[in-house]
Amino acid sequence: MTQAEIKLCSLLLQEHFGEIVEKIGVHLIRTGSQPLRVIAHDTGTSLDQVKKALCVLIQHNLVIYQVHKRGVVEYEAQCSRVLRMLRYPRYIYTTKTLYSDTGELIVEELLLNGKLTMSAVVKKVADRLTETMEDGKTMDYAEVSNTFVRLADTHFVQRCPLVATTESSDPEPPPPAPTLVTNEKDMYLVPKLSLIGKGKRRRSSDEDAAGEPKAKRRKHTADNKEPIPDDGIYWQANLDRFHQHFRDQAIVSAVANRMDQTSSEIVRTMLRMSEITTPSSAPFTQPLSSNEIFRSLPVGYNISKQVLDQYLTLLADDPLEFVGKSGDSGGGMYVISILTSYFLTVSHLLSSFLSRFGSRCARIFRLVLQKKHLEQKQVEDFAMIPAKEAKDMLYKMLSENFISLQEIPKTPDHAPSRTFYLYTVNILSAARMLLHRCYKSIANLIERRQFETKENKRLLEKSQRVEAIIASMQATGAEEAQLQEIEEMITAPERQQLETLKRNVNKLDASEIQVDETIFLLESYIESTMKRL
Amino acid sequence: MASRGGGRGRGRGQLTFNMEAVGIGKGDALPPPTLQPSPLFPPLEYHPVPLPSGEEGEYVLALKQELRGAMRQLPYFIRPAVPKRDWRRLPRELKIRVRKLQKERITILLPKRPPKTTEDKEETIQKLETLEKKEEEVTSEEDEEKEEEEEKEEEEEEEYDEEEHEEETDYIMSYFDNGEDFGGDSDDNMDEAIY
Repeated sequence: MTQAEIKLCSLLLQEHFGEIVEKIGVHLIRTGSQPLRVIAHDTGTSLDQVKKALCVLIQHNLVIYQVHKRGVVEYEAQCSRVLRMLRYPRYIYTTKTLYSDTGELIVEELLLNGKLTMSAVVKKVADRLTETMEDGKTMDYAEVSNTFVRLADTHFVQRCPLVATTESSDPEPPPPAPTLVTNEKDMYLVPKLSLIGKGKRRRSSDEDAAGEPKAKRRKHTADNKEPIPDDGIYWQANLDRFHQHFRDQAIVSAVANRMDQTSSEIVRTMLRMSEITTPSSAPFTQPLSSNEIFRSLPVGYNISKQVLDQYLTLLADDPLEFVGKSGDSGGGMYVISILTSYFLTVSHLLSSFLSRFGSRCARIFRLVLQKKHLEQKQVEDFAMIPAKEAKDMLYKMLSENFISLQEIPKTPDHAPSRTFYLYTVNILSAARMLLHRCYKSIANLIERRQFETKENKRLLEKSQRVEAIIASMQATGAEEAQLQEIEEMITAPERQQLETLKRNVNKLDASEIQVDETIFLLESYIESTMKRL
Repeated sequence: MASRGGGRGRGRGQLTFNMEAVGIGKGDALPPPTLQPSPLFPPLEYHPVPLPSGEEGEYVLALKQELRGAMRQLPYFIRPAVPKRDWRRLPRELKIRVRKLQKERITILLPKRPPKTTEDKEETIQKLETLEKKEEEVTSEEDEEKEEEEEKEEEEEEEYDEEEHEEETDYIMSYFDNGEDFGGDSDDNMDEAIY
């Protein structure tokens, strides 16, 4: 794990889970797998706090445990999973676009809580939805369950590994840690639950405040005693499936940019057909016959079979190789090359990064990428850039390691005057470098945001107090004059300061989201390339 | 000294390396002398890519901020514990509160006191809420003391927060400083009231 990644993980853990969890988590990431006592000793925290922290981390799938020989349990942190926390808003938003508010809340609850049973999720989501509805209406559990089942069918949520069941007649003492078994077949099997009920609305302030909470507390404890039918079956969000979805989106938009809307729709159909059949890291989708594609086209697109075939041929012949032809049965079998799509996106990213140095730099970069190896003179000729500038830019890129030099000696003594020096681009290493920079920049963004918030902490607290006062006074029906008075407690320059702060924080947050999109593309590319090698 | 004065006349401006090889030709203007450290943020030559905006961008942004706030409120956010206090050095009344809280846990389940003033209601609600939070945490025998101290600390901090977010009450303790609570309306609440 690079230093930049560790720093970023530390910031994320601290923001979401507090200092103690951060300390333990970072220690585990740095040192690899360790048992409980060693962790407590090395970090200097008390045993109970370490236990609490580990419970939280395991609950959120950030730490896994393993029983080693002699009964010692070792804990290992998963750095990459911690970095996923940056992407939570994107996952939730995607679910919203696909499954509307109910789906959005289901995924949100799963992400916030790590793992939950289905009944718990349904209940929480129904309660939350009921609150946002108008008075008198409540959300039915059945509707939420349906959305949950749909999410499970499309693999967006999956079951957590189950505790391996041992026979009760075993005379041996129970193992120190349960062994978790992943059952591939049942991963998306929803247990048959008859969840009847409606969401409960939280009581508003008008009712008897004293009597009600006490009664509710008693009822709350009573509810917990009911047996939960799906006890032990926990669900989690399936992040890989989301990544697959993002990847598909990226490919479709790339095709739409290159060609037209119809071809992107065709590609989208092909991808949708192979959603569940193709594992997420495969370089090619399953071959699909053009008849199948024709049948699965969305209803709105009535293009004839010949036109479809023409489009497919066009896509397959395209030098960018998004779609490849792999056979002729069934009217032509076509595959989508995932790797090529990545490659293109990544090189596009890199060249857009280089436009930081100017568009001419990006032009040179694209040129070298396309021609693979070029000499200094050839670069100047092909790119049509004066020699001095070209030299300058090439050296700049070289110093940043985007371009590398390949030496080809003419004579065995490698004399510099008689050697060819060729410029070449190694996409994998350039992508890795860019990824490293991305991690650093997000860490910087988060730190800056925290700094800004800390600077203005006093002001923020004051404004929160004022808002609370106003809210309570409005609830009890105060007059305009009084409200005005309270609002004036915050002076105009302070208000302006608050505005600036809000704008800055928003900008920083938006930048984080944007950098995270880049990180996703780069990580997926590197991962799929490594798998292929 | 003599040679140094003489050195100023001859061989002045000679360098140990060949200037032309570096790239500064004869007669070329040297770069301007640097009189101050380079600026902290060098000016950007080219504008960066615009931030995501529009409906999707704003929604994701709002989601992100909301999630951040929500995660702080969940029980998974572990606040740093308060160090153990030496009770011999602190006034006795602070310690009594700890024991009262324990008693409180039993008494609250049997509400025989009719609800009195709004301040009482507010205090019981606050106590109930903090205790409710504590009930969910797993505590071991050794930890009870620490937990109670945590509770006390958190109560002191959280009391303040809860008062603001408490929309059910008419009066906010910090806003109104009436001396009603000073005497204490009931035995249980006496120690809570003094802030």
